[in-house]
Amino acid sequence: MAAEEKWNSWAWKEHSAADQAGDKDSCMLLGQQLGEPGRFAYAALCGISLAWLFPEKEQSSFRMEFIEGLVKWLDLPDAVLPAMTAFASGLGGEGTETFAQILLKDPMLKDNPIVITQDLVSFSLKDGYYDARARVLICHITWLLRIPLEELEALEESLLESLKEQKEEESETAEVSRKKKERRKKLKRYLLIGLATVGGGTVIGLTGGLAAPLVAAGAATIIGSAGAAALGSTAGIAVMASLFGAAGAGLTGYKMKKRVGAIEEFEFLPLTEGKQLHITIAITGWLCTGRYGSFTAPWSSMLQSSEQYCLAWESKYLMELGNALDSLLNGFVNMMAQEALKFTVLSGIVTALTWPASLLTAASVIDNPWGVCLHRSAEVGKHLAHLLLSRQQGKRPVTLIGFSLGARVIYFCLQEMAQEKDSQGIIEDAVLLGAPVEGEAKHWKALTKVVSGRIINGYCRGDWLLGFVYRTSSVQLNVAGLQPVNLDDRRMVNVDLSSVVSGHLDYMKQMDTILKAVGIKTKECRLEEKGSASLFSPPAKKTQQAAGSEARRDEDAAGGGRWSWDPVDSPDTLDASRDGGRPCPGEPFPAGLAQGLDSAGCSLGETSRPCPGSPNSEDGGKHAAGTGTETD
Amino acid sequence: MDEDVLTTLKILIIGESGVGKSSLLLRFTDDTFDPELAATIGVDFKVKTISVDGNKAKLAIWDTAGQERFRTLTPSYYRGAQGVILVYDVTRRDTFVKLDNWLNELETYCTRNDIVKMLVGNKIDKENREVDRNEGLKFARKHSMLFIEASAKTCDGVQCAFEELVEKIIQTPGLWESESQNRGVKLSNKEEGYGGGACGGYCSML
Repeated sequence: MAAEEKWNSWAWKEHSAADQAGDKDSCMLLGQQLGEPGRFAYAALCGISLAWLFPEKEQSSFRMEFIEGLVKWLDLPDAVLPAMTAFASGLGGEGTETFAQILLKDPMLKDNPIVITQDLVSFSLKDGYYDARARVLICHITWLLRIPLEELEALEESLLESLKEQKEEESETAEVSRKKKERRKKLKRYLLIGLATVGGGTVIGLTGGLAAPLVAAGAATIIGSAGAAALGSTAGIAVMASLFGAAGAGLTGYKMKKRVGAIEEFEFLPLTEGKQLHITIAITGWLCTGRYGSFTAPWSSMLQSSEQYCLAWESKYLMELGNALDSLLNGFVNMMAQEALKFTVLSGIVTALTWPASLLTAASVIDNPWGVCLHRSAEVGKHLAHLLLSRQQGKRPVTLIGFSLGARVIYFCLQEMAQEKDSQGIIEDAVLLGAPVEGEAKHWKALTKVVSGRIINGYCRGDWLLGFVYRTSSVQLNVAGLQPVNLDDRRMVNVDLSSVVSGHLDYMKQMDTILKAVGIKTKECRLEEKGSASLFSPPAKKTQQAAGSEARRDEDAAGGGRWSWDPVDSPDTLDASRDGGRPCPGEPFPAGLAQGLDSAGCSLGETSRPCPGSPNSEDGGKHAAGTGTETD
Repeated sequence: MDEDVLTTLKILIIGESGVGKSSLLLRFTDDTFDPELAATIGVDFKVKTISVDGNKAKLAIWDTAGQERFRTLTPSYYRGAQGVILVYDVTRRDTFVKLDNWLNELETYCTRNDIVKMLVGNKIDKENREVDRNEGLKFARKHSMLFIEASAKTCDGVQCAFEELVEKIIQTPGLWESESQNRGVKLSNKEEGYGGGACGGYCSML
């Protein structure tokens, strides 16, 4: 089958060691070919990683279910369960490196460790449900095995592609029935959208343009015979369909049928054409006339996932706010005052700050639209939370990213989700940039319940505008968008954007640079990648966390002329104050290219990859040691 | 849940394949014996709380697989262990001879040099003994280990082996104190040279 071949060839094309015999093997389930010690090490590695990633008590059922499922999936005897359970509950965590080494030395995996990732993806998808926690785990394991994260993305993409191909083949032969189906589809669509919210698992629907039975057929060729047994069943077909959201409509199909609460506008705009097993939703903070008049404008360069959406909400008010912000900066407050304000805010005495009279006279211009939007963003956030909880997006991980009031939407969305049941495993990462929300760690604690991957708080110390507009909303000026959130959790990553963002409006105008700084993939990066490929052997190494190394790479490769700040200072621009958040289980990666990985990592050439989860660990560490300005 | 537990100790059981590591553990934790016990895969894990000198200690016992094919996995368990039980079969001399290898491995992978070691000669209920008790005792003394002969089948010395080991660990405060705070990474090892003194502590029961 074409799909099968594609899958195989993909799995091997990265590795020159591909041979024909191996080609056949790679579609077999890993559990059938890997030796017992290898399988044991594989499961143990997952167990230990689970315990490390999700040590919370409320996650224990997920950990246990996952590890028990994996033991069965790998055909390991039940006798290993006590040990696996011990691993998954945080015991024996010292062995990570040994287990990883064993796997990397296994003759079957030596040249091709990606099959572990491949197997984990298949395992995680077998119930038609891609849990965000599972994806975070897969990313972690992938990293432990020194595999570039791009390979995981490529793997997920090719899985989807094969599904699509399968569908096209079939549709030619069965065009008549397809047309019939399509007619029925239209009729059933509304019904199905409703059904999906009730029980996604039981809906036999159509995935984003793909007929469900065909999806399962395609999946069978990919996942392998044993995996297909699970997917080929009727239930399997249904859950496979549910992975992609209600009846193929997904998020774009979502329209508010009527006003919900105070919300007037709430709609998803697709940012990209593609389909992916995980999606990204971007939320804009305000609108301006001119170039930034649309919700999608600031996100033009983002490429976090090949399926991205942008939330359009309350454009009327956001436009009003944008214009007010503009006029405030261009008319009422002169440049001198702005500079002065910036430094006052920077010096950290904002609590006692007396705002200049010129600004206070202008306050009426901004306070009203700001107040309205502040209120609406909270409402929109709650609505988004319920939408995500009802799995309109399908059962796959979601990454949320937003700036200014968009970040506030995310904050309230996560807060709302944290109060609901079954809210875990939906959100992968959350990126909040210049967020006008409280910056107290205790308020952020709830967020860790729903976010599986990272919570990134991008802040700017000199953002006087944020300080000003937020002055009435909060007595103490403790705003997340102005300072790091001192939450002790591996998920929490604070990124100081002070040298990238010179004012609040930059969040919109400098989005490209900011995205890179916080470690979100952008389109430009991919292009640039090709240019410097000779220096950094395998291309497409742009992990979503690689921003830190990216800055470095620029220094090394091109002198960093592309960056708007002086590259020499780049370690100072990025302050992952939680750099200890995800400690490297192996040797810590030293900065720059001089990193020596004693294992297959070297042969893969992924030299400049920092720890997953702490995007700028090296820079952050350096920074903390170097300047010591940030304490957390 | 266990507030009255003084500490949690990590105990490791190592030794050649088929010497009865799992049987010893099974006898200790569940007080049962299965002559047809299947070979351990990777590692087995059991928890038991015991009381020694009025102190309650929770034992997290890792029972490793002796089979050669799982040998590569063993190094991952040594780290952070406070006590190790080396088992040989008194009816098989080769398992006794191989003890040197196990001690080498212990030396290589163990993160601390004050780890308490206990040598157990198992299967003393059997007739065809190949390793004399004195030989075992001499070996244990030479490598400053505690020593006991036991039988998982008849329950001889099993309880004592674990109790002696735990007692010794508790008497070595640097070994288990503040263990809860810094899991894993501990670069300094202050209680150096303690192992030399442990020699006198071997127990020769039975």
